[in-house]
Amino acid sequence: MTGIFRLQRRTELSARTGLGGRRLSALSLALLGSALALGGCGGPDPEQLPVNLSQGVPLGAVLAMSGNANVYGQDQNTGLSLALAELNGKGGINGKPLALKIEDSGSDEPGANAAFTLQINRGVLALIGPTLSQQAFSADPIAQRRRVPVVAPSNTATGIPEIGHFISRVSAQSSVIAPLSIARALQLNPGIRRAAVFYAQDDAYSSAETTIFQQALTAKGLKPVTVQRTQLNDQDFQTQITAALQQKPDLVVLSLQAVDGGNMIRQLRELGYKGAIVVGNGMNTPNIYPICQKYCDGILIAQAYSPELKSPANSAFLRRFQASQGGAIPPQLTAQAWTALQVLAEALQRLDRRQSLQQRNLAEARQALMAEILSGTYQTPLGEIRFTPEGEVIQKNFFVAQVRMDPSGKSGRFALLP
Amino acid sequence: MDLIQLLLNGLSLGAVYALFALGYTLVFSVLGVINFSHGAVFTLGAYFTYLLIGGQAGANGLLAGLQLPFALPFALALPLAGLASALVALLIERVAFRPLRRRGADSLLALISSLGAGVILVNLIQLLMGAESYAIPIGTLGALPAALSLGGAQVRTVQVLLLAISVLLLVVLSVWLEGSRSGKALQAVSEDPVTAQLLGIDSDAMIRLAFGISGFLAGVSGGLVGLSVSIAGPYFGISYGLKALGVLVLGGLGSVPGAMLGGLIIGLAEAFVPAAWSGWKDAVAYGFLFLILVLRPQGLLGKPQATKV
Repeated sequence: MTGIFRLQRRTELSARTGLGGRRLSALSLALLGSALALGGCGGPDPEQLPVNLSQGVPLGAVLAMSGNANVYGQDQNTGLSLALAELNGKGGINGKPLALKIEDSGSDEPGANAAFTLQINRGVLALIGPTLSQQAFSADPIAQRRRVPVVAPSNTATGIPEIGHFISRVSAQSSVIAPLSIARALQLNPGIRRAAVFYAQDDAYSSAETTIFQQALTAKGLKPVTVQRTQLNDQDFQTQITAALQQKPDLVVLSLQAVDGGNMIRQLRELGYKGAIVVGNGMNTPNIYPICQKYCDGILIAQAYSPELKSPANSAFLRRFQASQGGAIPPQLTAQAWTALQVLAEALQRLDRRQSLQQRNLAEARQALMAEILSGTYQTPLGEIRFTPEGEVIQKNFFVAQVRMDPSGKSGRFALLP
Repeated sequence: MDLIQLLLNGLSLGAVYALFALGYTLVFSVLGVINFSHGAVFTLGAYFTYLLIGGQAGANGLLAGLQLPFALPFALALPLAGLASALVALLIERVAFRPLRRRGADSLLALISSLGAGVILVNLIQLLMGAESYAIPIGTLGALPAALSLGGAQVRTVQVLLLAISVLLLVVLSVWLEGSRSGKALQAVSEDPVTAQLLGIDSDAMIRLAFGISGFLAGVSGGLVGLSVSIAGPYFGISYGLKALGVLVLGGLGSVPGAMLGGLIIGLAEAFVPAAWSGWKDAVAYGFLFLILVLRPQGLLGKPQATKV
């Protein structure tokens, strides 16, 4: 049979595409020489020059606008754009407008590294981003080495601020938030006895969060009956799900990103799982609705933002968001991105009042800005926040929400649980 | 886990890989080049399917909010998406392969050129449709249940459908290759295009045919996978493309049944990875591939490469 169907073509695998070692060495030397020559052609160190305010106060953001984390980047982009309009509408940095440049990191580490380097070389005073913890562990050390302040709007893995003293975050870490949803799930259904855990083992956020989830489960006397590992780009989970369902779980806990998490929920339900589902921060976006559709209904999630929080800062944010998005309810990532820019703006205002940014060189301004970020207290859409000396956020209010899908299964909302 | 469940899991996974690898195989058979734009055409097929069933473009592309004035049933949208993908594959052949072939360029250049075409296509999708994910609505298969119980094992209906369509396409392809004049002509071109030309076979037409069928297969498999696991943005064909390359090599370059067999073996290898190692299933699958290639470099059903002196 194989002879009949074969469409074999003889291929010639010649060595003509190879470059000889000698040619490669010569090429490498030539490139090295060119790089050295170019390096030697530069003028004075740009970081020792005054901050360039000709286009406004330069800030940069690095977001995952494409790739499998794009759903987060888009939420964040909205938050930054709205905050920029709000802050510049109020006079920017003591009369000087903020000039925020946003770069797409893709959803991987090389993309984040390249975007960080590009932004730093442009002379930004500080960076917001990157979107994923996995990217932060790769890109933040670049900012740390170049002594550029970073405010992370969405990195929740353990160890982010510990990367260095120029790294801070406004996104509370998993260990603070994740256990809340487990506690609430058990409160809603005290009969839960068997928990199954899923996480993406090649993702820093997922790995960090599942550890917290598993500790929280164990603390409640629910040692997971199965732990299933996936990978970030996985989309078909039939194997893991059927293995887990054989253990007859009545609680499933997911630490996955939005797209794979949404797929996981859909496939879990299609394969007959009817129990409770708790999800982590990676699924904290309305962008999961189109993926799991009607099956999103009922999932539990702990959140660092509530649209129902009564405060002037949240009202301003809500007003801007709903005006631009047709009255929609803002997701947490959008509120956190807004917060990140607000923190930078308020720190810059204080810094500029003490000594004008124009009178500082770039390196000095970056250093002073980092100290200023950490010393402030901020009234934000997330509520009042401040920072530890290491750059970890200190936040007062956390919430647990349950997804409620509308009957069509096309849209839904995170309904806060009392 | 039950053996039946493992087999079902493996077969449903393998069917996707096999369907994808079939497209690679056809083009490789006539040109001796792996068409790296195949993954992009696969992605395009998923987007075509989504739009044809009445899906709306998201907010972040140039086509933001676009919705076709009609909504076709999935059973009609899928083959149409396949046809549209076939046209794109023909266009790729025209701009990325033919000019190089006419100049007698090295096959490696065609490989790079196809990679470029794929990157352009993916970026074009992103430009037009945005980077967001799309999902084919639950319930698209009408009254069919979400999952089926077979011998006590659970499998999603869409996976069964995927497996059935893959097998059907293999049979149709095999019958066509064996029993039709054009199928035999394609085999002749794959053996030796110059001799085939001397025998009166229009090699260029056969190459176009291979691209067309390959594009159709990519479009159909993209639509089916999109139905099964949603469309995770313009890049979602890449991981399937990489896996299918492994399948192609495992089965034997250019072998149609090899592509099917390779797909099913890789799928089963992944399914049989114990639960505790589920995150390492790719490593196990590729380790298995490595082992087989060490023992049989031409792949399971491939011919040994002729050595030229």
